[in-house]
Amino acid sequence: MTAITDDLVLPPRRFSLWTAIRRNPTIAFGGVLLLALIAVAVVGPSFVGDPFKLSPVNRLRPPSERWWFGTDQFGRDVFTRTVYGARVSLFVGLSVAAFSSLLGLALGLLCGYFRRVDAIVMRVMDGLMAIPSILLAIALITLTRPGLGIVIVAIVIPEVPRIVRVVRAVVLSIRSQPYIESAIAGGTKNAKLLLRHVLPNALAPLIVQSTYVCASAMLIEAGLSFLGAGVPPEVPSWGNIIAQGRTFFQIAPWTILIPGTFLAITVLAVNLLGDGLRDRLDPRLARRL
Amino acid sequence: MNAAAGNILEVRDLQTQFNTLDGVVRAVDGVSFDLTRGETLGIVGESGCGKSVTALSILRLIPPETGRITAGSIRFEGEELTTLGEEAMKRLRGHRISMIFQEPMTSLNPVLTVGTQIAENVVRHLDVSWRAARERAREMLDLVRIADARRRLDEYPHQLSGGMRQRVMIAMALSCDPQVLIADEPTTALDVTIQAQILQLMLELKEKTGTAIVLITHDLGVVAETTERVVVMYAGRKVEEAPVEALFAEPLHPYTRGLMRAIPRLDIEADAAGRRPRLQEIPGLVPRLTQPIVGCAFAPRCGFATERCRTAPPPLVDAGSGHTVACWEVDRVRASAL
Amino acid sequence: MTAYIVRRLFATLPVMAVVAIFVFFLIRFAPGDPAAIIAGEDATAEAIAQVRAKLGLDRPFMEQFVIWILQMMQGDLGVSIFSNLPVSRLIVQRLEPTVALTLSTLFVAVALAIPIGVLAAWKARKLVDRLVMGFAVLGFAMPVFVLAYILIYFFAVQWQLLPVQGYRPIAEGLWPFVESLILPSVALGVTYMALIARITRASMLEVLAQDYIRTANAKGLATDRVLLLHALKNAAVPIVTVIGIGIALLISGVVITETVFNIPGLGRLTVDAVLKRDYPVVQGLILVFAAAKVLVNLIIDISYAFLDPRIRY
Repeated sequence: MTAITDDLVLPPRRFSLWTAIRRNPTIAFGGVLLLALIAVAVVGPSFVGDPFKLSPVNRLRPPSERWWFGTDQFGRDVFTRTVYGARVSLFVGLSVAAFSSLLGLALGLLCGYFRRVDAIVMRVMDGLMAIPSILLAIALITLTRPGLGIVIVAIVIPEVPRIVRVVRAVVLSIRSQPYIESAIAGGTKNAKLLLRHVLPNALAPLIVQSTYVCASAMLIEAGLSFLGAGVPPEVPSWGNIIAQGRTFFQIAPWTILIPGTFLAITVLAVNLLGDGLRDRLDPRLARRL
Repeated sequence: MNAAAGNILEVRDLQTQFNTLDGVVRAVDGVSFDLTRGETLGIVGESGCGKSVTALSILRLIPPETGRITAGSIRFEGEELTTLGEEAMKRLRGHRISMIFQEPMTSLNPVLTVGTQIAENVVRHLDVSWRAARERAREMLDLVRIADARRRLDEYPHQLSGGMRQRVMIAMALSCDPQVLIADEPTTALDVTIQAQILQLMLELKEKTGTAIVLITHDLGVVAETTERVVVMYAGRKVEEAPVEALFAEPLHPYTRGLMRAIPRLDIEADAAGRRPRLQEIPGLVPRLTQPIVGCAFAPRCGFATERCRTAPPPLVDAGSGHTVACWEVDRVRASAL
Repeated sequence: MTAYIVRRLFATLPVMAVVAIFVFFLIRFAPGDPAAIIAGEDATAEAIAQVRAKLGLDRPFMEQFVIWILQMMQGDLGVSIFSNLPVSRLIVQRLEPTVALTLSTLFVAVALAIPIGVLAAWKARKLVDRLVMGFAVLGFAMPVFVLAYILIYFFAVQWQLLPVQGYRPIAEGLWPFVESLILPSVALGVTYMALIARITRASMLEVLAQDYIRTANAKGLATDRVLLLHALKNAAVPIVTVIGIGIALLISGVVITETVFNIPGLGRLTVDAVLKRDYPVVQGLILVFAAAKVLVNLIIDISYAFLDPRIRY
C-alpha cells in the first residue's frame, strides 16, 4: 500500500551518521562485527602463541583460565588455533569474492554485449550451476595436490555463475532502456556507451552478490577441510580444527563447538552486511529476496 | 448543513495520520461531510490532497503499521465505524459499503478467476452456497454488460481489457447490494471513451439499486457530469462544498477557481489565429504535510492571501443554499472575475 | 500442457550435456597427469600405466569422448578403480539412505518454512516476525556440520534421546528408521528452512502490498482467505523457485551430513571416493547429483504453469 504515501510531499532528508546507523542497523552491525573479525585475523596471530606447539601432557583440557578454548588431542591450544583459523577463513572468503566478482563481471559484460558469446557462456554456466558447489569443488581439488590456492580456485569456479547472471541481467536491462537504444541507433560506440552506463548500475548488485559469495565460500572452505578435501590438514583452518576434533568430540566437544561458533559468527557478519547493503543499494532485489 | 435523517454516512472532523521516516504526515486533517441515501457525492482535489486516504479511512483500510485515524467520527447508518470491532468491520466491507479502486489492471487478483473473485464476496456476506454465488456472479457480469458472462467467469483478469476489468470490479462491488459505493478514481486509468461508458454504467446501476456513491476524482469534468454535490479538498482539509451546479456557476475558493482555470475549454471562441486562452496552472507546490500548517493551507499559492490567511485557519462559512467555503477573503474572491 | 512439459524436458538436455562434457574434460584437462595423481604419491610407472589404461586415457582423445558418451547413455558410468565394481551398482546400493534423508528433509522443511514465513509476513515487524527472521538469519549462517555436532552433543550425548549416528534401513522397522533420520534431517534442513522461510516472508510482504490484496480486504474477506489464497498463491512462484535452488544446498549438505552421522549413502560414497581418488566414482556421482538437481528444477518449471495462469505453455 505504498501508493498511499507515495504522492504525499515529503521534505528532503539530511545525512547524519546516527540516522544512517539507525536506518541501516544491519549494515552497521554486520560491518562492525566483520571489521572486528578481520582485525583478529590480521593482528591476532602476533599476540597469541604457536598454533602448532604440541603439549602431550595437556591433551584435551577443557576451557579454563590457562587455555581459554581448551586444548585438542595433541595438547595444542584451541584458542590460538581458532585465531589463526580466522585468517584462513577470511582470506579464502575475501579472495573468492574478489576473484569471482572480477571474473563474473568480465563474463557477464561479454554475455551482455555479444549474443553469440552469451549463448555459449550461459549454457556452460547452467551446467556449472547444476553441479552442487561442494561437489564441484571437491572434484576439482581431487585432481591436483591440495593447497590454499587450489581451494580458492575450486570455490571460485562454482561461484562465478551467480555473479555472471547478476551482471548479465543488468547489462541486458540497460541495453533495453530507451535512452541506450536511441543512442545506439544514433551511432554511438556500443561498447563504450554501455560500459559507462553498465558499470555504475552493475556495481550495487555486484557488491551485494559478492558478499553472499564470500559467506558461501567460507562455508564451502570449512566443509571441504572438514571432509578432508580442503586446505592441507596441517593448516589451522576452522574446518580442519573441527575435522580433527571429531574423534574426541564426545569427551572434548569444545574442539568442535568453539571454532564452529566462530565460523557461524563470521558467516553471519558477512550475511548481515550483505542483507543490509542489499536493502540499501538494491531495493528492487531486496523486495525479491 | 441539515443533519437530516436521510444521511447514510456522516464524517466529522476526520484526521488520519501516517508515520513516515520524515515524521508524521497529516494526510487528512479535519474533514467533515455527509452522504444522503442514493446520492452521488464528488470529492475533488489534486493527488496528495488526502481524498484517497479519506476513502480508505471510511472503510478502515489504512494499513495499521503505517497510519491510523487519530480523531473524528465516521457514522454509517448511525453506527460509529471508528470504534467498531474489526470482525464487524469486515462484515460491513464489501457488503454494505463497497469500494472500487483506480487501477483495474492491478486491483484484481491475477491468479484467481473472475468468477471466484466475485462469488467469494457473495459467499462471505450473504448466506448462500458457492453454486448460488456463482450464479449471482454471472448475473452481475450481465448487469455490467460483459458479453458471454458464463464463459468470462472462468477467465483470469489478464484475459480481460482494462475497461472490462473495471466492469468486473463494479460487478464485484455491487454484488451484495451495498448502501454505499466508494469509487476512488474509477476511470482515471482508462481510455476516454471507456471512461464515459464506465461512468454511465455506474450512474445507471445507482438508479437501479439506490446505492449512494462517493466518487473520488481529480477530474472536474467527471464531477460535472456525474455528481450532485461536491467536496473540494486541499492539503488534507475541506476547502469548499457545494451542489455541483452552484460550484461550477460560482466557485468561491481561490483553489477551486485555480482548478477550474486548469480545465481545457472548447466553449471559448478561438481568436483569429486559432488560439485559445492558455491553460493556467496553479503556481507553487502542495505544502508539506509533515509540519503543522498555520493559517490557510492554500495561502502560499493564493493571489488573494493576506496576513490573516497566513496566521489563522479560515473557518467554513455558509455562502447560502448549501454552499460552504473556507476562505477569509471570500468577498474579494467573489467580486473578482473567474 | 504436454507440449510444454516436453519442451521443458528438452531444455534440460543441453544442461546435462554441459555437465557430461565438463565431467569428461575435468579429468583430462587437469594440471599434471591424472593417472599419476589417481595412482597415488609413490606409484610405480607400471601402476600409473595401468590406471591410464583402465580409464582409457591412452586412447585417442575423440575416441575417448565418444566411448564415454555412448557408455553413459547406456547407463554405464564406468568401473570403480578401487573396488572394481560398476559405478552404477555402487550408486544404487547407496541410494536408499540418501533419498530417505533428502526427501524427509525436503518435505519437513517446506512444510514448516512456508507457514512460519507467512506468519512472519502477516505479523511484519512484530515479535513473531523478528523471531522468525532471527532464526532465518542464524540458520542461514550455521554450517551444517557445526549444527550437527551441537545437536548430537545435546540430543544424543547429554540427554541420550536419539542415536549418536548411523542409519537403520526402513526394512528394519519404521521407528528405528525414523529415529536414525531425525538429527541428520534437522541438521541438514535448518539452512534450507531458513532460506525458504525468508523468501516466503519477502515474497508475501511484496504481495501483501499489492492493490489486489487491498481489494480482497475491501471485500471484508476473512484473514485466512486473504493470506492463504489471495496472497500465498501469488507469492508461490518465487517460493517454489527457491525450493528448487535450495536443492543444491541439500545435496551439498548431504555430503557433509552423511559424514558426520556416518550414514552409508551417496554423500559418504562421494567422500570415500574423493579420498581414495576413485575418479570414475566421483564422475558418476557428479552426474547423478546434477541430474537430480536438473530433475527437481524441471518439476519446478512445470509447477509454475499450475501456479500462475499468466505463464503460457
